[in-house]
Amino acid sequence: MSSVSFHHVEKSFGATKVIHGISFDIADGEFMVLVGPSGCGKSTLLRMLAGLEDITSGTIAIDGRVVNDVDSKDRDIAMVFQSYALYPHMSVRENMGFRLRLRRADRREIDTRVARAAQILKLEPYLDRFPRELSGGQRQRVAMGRAIVRDPKVFLFDEPLSNLDAKLRVQMRSEIKALHQRLKTTTVYVTHDQIEAMTMADRIVVMHDGRVEQIGRPLDLYDRPNNLFVAQFIGSPAMNVVSGTVRRHNGSAWLEADGVRWPMGEVPGAEGQPVVFGVRPEHLDLARTDGDHVAGDVIVVEPTGAETELLVQVGASQVTLVTSGRPRVRPGERIALAVEPGMGHVFDRESGQRLVD
Amino acid sequence: MMRGAVDEAKLLLIGIPVAIWTLLPIYHMFLFSISSKEEAFSGKAWPDHPTLRNFGVVFREQHYFLNHFWQQFANSLLIAVAVGVLTLAVAATAAFAISRLRTRGGRVVLNCALFTYFIPAAFLAVPMYKAMGAYSLLNSKWSLILAMVTIASPYAIWVLKQASDRLPYELDEAARIDGASPLQLFRLVYLPLMAPSLVAVGTYALLLAWNEYLYAFLLLSRDQDITLPVALGHFLSADDSPWELLMTAGLVYALPPAAIYYAFKRYMVAGLTTGAVKS
Repeated sequence: MSSVSFHHVEKSFGATKVIHGISFDIADGEFMVLVGPSGCGKSTLLRMLAGLEDITSGTIAIDGRVVNDVDSKDRDIAMVFQSYALYPHMSVRENMGFRLRLRRADRREIDTRVARAAQILKLEPYLDRFPRELSGGQRQRVAMGRAIVRDPKVFLFDEPLSNLDAKLRVQMRSEIKALHQRLKTTTVYVTHDQIEAMTMADRIVVMHDGRVEQIGRPLDLYDRPNNLFVAQFIGSPAMNVVSGTVRRHNGSAWLEADGVRWPMGEVPGAEGQPVVFGVRPEHLDLARTDGDHVAGDVIVVEPTGAETELLVQVGASQVTLVTSGRPRVRPGERIALAVEPGMGHVFDRESGQRLVD
Repeated sequence: MMRGAVDEAKLLLIGIPVAIWTLLPIYHMFLFSISSKEEAFSGKAWPDHPTLRNFGVVFREQHYFLNHFWQQFANSLLIAVAVGVLTLAVAATAAFAISRLRTRGGRVVLNCALFTYFIPAAFLAVPMYKAMGAYSLLNSKWSLILAMVTIASPYAIWVLKQASDRLPYELDEAARIDGASPLQLFRLVYLPLMAPSLVAVGTYALLLAWNEYLYAFLLLSRDQDITLPVALGHFLSADDSPWELLMTAGLVYALPPAAIYYAFKRYMVAGLTTGAVKS
């Protein structure tokens, strides 16, 4: 088990800079998820840690040892690829024991360790099969088995669940999480799926255009996004955002957007400041008509059983509202919306940064 | 259904003449080999007294032109196998270096390989003869082996490079992380996965050498050293060539390629990489 640290790491492909000076630390045993839209540099960062890409400048250290010039095989890491990358001409057993075989470990040790990994991953019945004879989920498990047989310092996962169907993805998600809780190996996990990030991570690094937007625990990111990008990237359905101007009068504040007056309660921002106001779908409530509210027209009603999602037209914007239970509203109906007190987020319109309250 | 029948009829219309066109010379050769000298030119579709005597004569080397038949057969076989193996060694390592290790200058090598095909092999026969002479390799099997490897390699490199490019690159990365050196990657991952292409390319080089006449004729001259096609060519230097023996020896000469083709046919089908990566 080990810590990992990135220090001013940069990466250029020719003249194109894809990683702009990234620094952060991963603690021993931590499950760190790198998340961001495609092209944000998360996979490149992982591949640099794996030793599959050169580091243009800065340093990457595993357990305090700078590994910039250390060969992949000497970094003591194991990687699970999106495409599984199983050796098609080897059985599951041979795939899992390949590393040990290259290290000239003795037969009995290889057998013991493969058997143990197979038991953890419930792969025992498949040990003598070839990858082509396995289902997607089983192949994924073999890829993980290959990683854990090695007992590495760090596990690297590069979008390991992207090729699985939705149901299997959820199942494998909990399996990976359970595996981590059992082995407690430092893990770096790359995904573009914010739900995977939220559900699995101890901490999340949100990346965008080769920069780190925010690092934090999943719920901290959710509750206090540092900027508009994180606010909109984390959470599903995404946060509602409305551009407008802050208005203050007689101790009350509101956002003026396209003639609609959004009550904001106690939030930062000076009178006349152009801002973006954000509110998560579950923090919008169907209001009784007394009190502060905005009026909107229901466009779509999507019941999912436990919750109901409403798409509502308010002025020029459309907002989503999620409410528990089954409200009796119909498309076309005019309803009143209220923002839960203290649950609004305000961002500077120019910089996209959160305004500190 | 009607449409299917029409299509089938069209196929047969093309297929039957092509089959006859291809098989007729072989049948002719077979006919000669089972006919006696007197009957060989009778023009009949089947001899009145078919005989296997010609095979006996060939196998027991009982004719002036056949004095070294088995020796020449062995020469052909040895040279063909050596050319197949050496070409594979050259082409597989080159393709691996260019396609998988992404060696600098790989593209140049590939373009040069392609360029060599603008020059007909016959053009190079005399320079090759001079070169072999300079190295005192004339009349040695090595001269023909090296010449044929030279001729077969560019195409083999080209084909194997294309096939290598289709192997998923993640396999190399996984192997690197697993701790494989380039040589281990080559031996334990690359070669097994390339097996079908290697068999195809090896067979190509082997048959190219087996069938070669011009270079064999130029580079080897002693009766004990020459290959079968050159020896068969000698038959025609006599005024009354023993055609029935020539055809019999020719038939024997044609059998190994057919055998090789059928033996390796099943390796030439793709699909070995199924299950490596999700496509």
